[in-house]
Amino acid sequence: MNRRTCLQTIVASSFIATAGCLESLSPGDEESTRSRADGVTLGPPEQDLSEASHPSYGEEFPTVEFPDPLTGETVSTEQFVGERTTLMTFFYTSCPDGACPALLLRLRRAQEVAAEEGYGDDAAFLGMTFDPERDTEDELRAYADQQGVNLDAGNWHFLRPKEYEDAKASLTEQFGLPLEKRDADEYENLEYMFPHYNYLFLVNEQGRIERVYPDGATVDPSQIVDDFETVVTA
Amino acid sequence: MRRRDVLAGLASVGVVGGGGVLAVRGVPSFETGSDDPEATDGAETTAPDPIAIETVEAPGSEAGEVRIPAPERVTFVDFFGTWCPPCIEQMPALAEANDRIGSDVLFLSVTNEAVGSSVTEDELVDWWDEHDGDWLLGLDPTAELTSRYLAGGYPSAVAIDTDGRVQWSDSGVKTADELVAGIERALEAEAGT
Repeated sequence: MNRRTCLQTIVASSFIATAGCLESLSPGDEESTRSRADGVTLGPPEQDLSEASHPSYGEEFPTVEFPDPLTGETVSTEQFVGERTTLMTFFYTSCPDGACPALLLRLRRAQEVAAEEGYGDDAAFLGMTFDPERDTEDELRAYADQQGVNLDAGNWHFLRPKEYEDAKASLTEQFGLPLEKRDADEYENLEYMFPHYNYLFLVNEQGRIERVYPDGATVDPSQIVDDFETVVTA
Repeated sequence: MRRRDVLAGLASVGVVGGGGVLAVRGVPSFETGSDDPEATDGAETTAPDPIAIETVEAPGSEAGEVRIPAPERVTFVDFFGTWCPPCIEQMPALAEANDRIGSDVLFLSVTNEAVGSSVTEDELVDWWDEHDGDWLLGLDPTAELTSRYLAGGYPSAVAIDTDGRVQWSDSGVKTADELVAGIERALEAEAGT
């Protein structure tokens, strides 16, 4: 029985199992020893991810620069420093398990509330694809429409590296998020797929990470919206 | 808590025959039992404000507005998109669940697509007709409802009691039995109060 369940799989390479972040989960190293980091608005996260392979709370967000095929511009995460609070995720439109629509829903919802609350011009929503081969300009535009993204708001960008290898290098080396490409034997209409982490990064106007959401596809969207609002209006 | 569960799930991924990748059931489902309302999204512990959802003229559906969660009866919502192939697979089980138990509850399907731009209302209604939708069809243009209740990806379903508590939710293609069982949990929670 092919019970296609979205999100039933989070997929990890074997070597992640021993990555730092996952070993730091012993209870007891929480709250008491940690305090608000410099240059951020939000307090320390419930889960200390500071030993993770990815940049985390209070740290500088990596600078990446890729073309946005929908606007024809090159978009750099650095261009928002001093300008906008950023919410960023990594995805691909052929995502077979529903995780990517769930990630984009959170960006889209934050975008919606930003417009309602009048801080849309202080916000940036970035979706970086790691599947440039299939995620062409047309595909990304159609996907944005399907997911209800407002492309006219001027605060949404897709980042599209030229090659998968560029995306992989950026994701693994700069963001510390392992990624793999493999055959999608279990899906009829899919040749290959990308096991990937469902991460969201909330970055303040100073370019510091306010919050990392490792379970970005399932975290309560209202939590993201609230955190975003707290940071953008600080 | 969930965050920890996820990472703990990942942390347990150690054994991979011959390297490569491994799928892990690491993401906790949002299937929160009626016996543990605290474990739901927090907002559900007190009745959340109902959200007004516009319904459209379509087979089994008429133009109007409903409030979700409904104050006077159990609410069942299926979240779908016309772009989502598994959502098509989900339709027959929804039809069966609606036949079996739909009259006891507010039963509807909702899409948060940009109806009017990415898909026209006519295309939506055609999709609905083609896949034998025969119950209330609603729109969530700001994704407010979807954000509150989506249990992961699409399709996704939720059963809410009249106190606004989520009694069951799950994502993925579900059988009619699973849908009915979920709805019954919300109905039983009603009977219990």
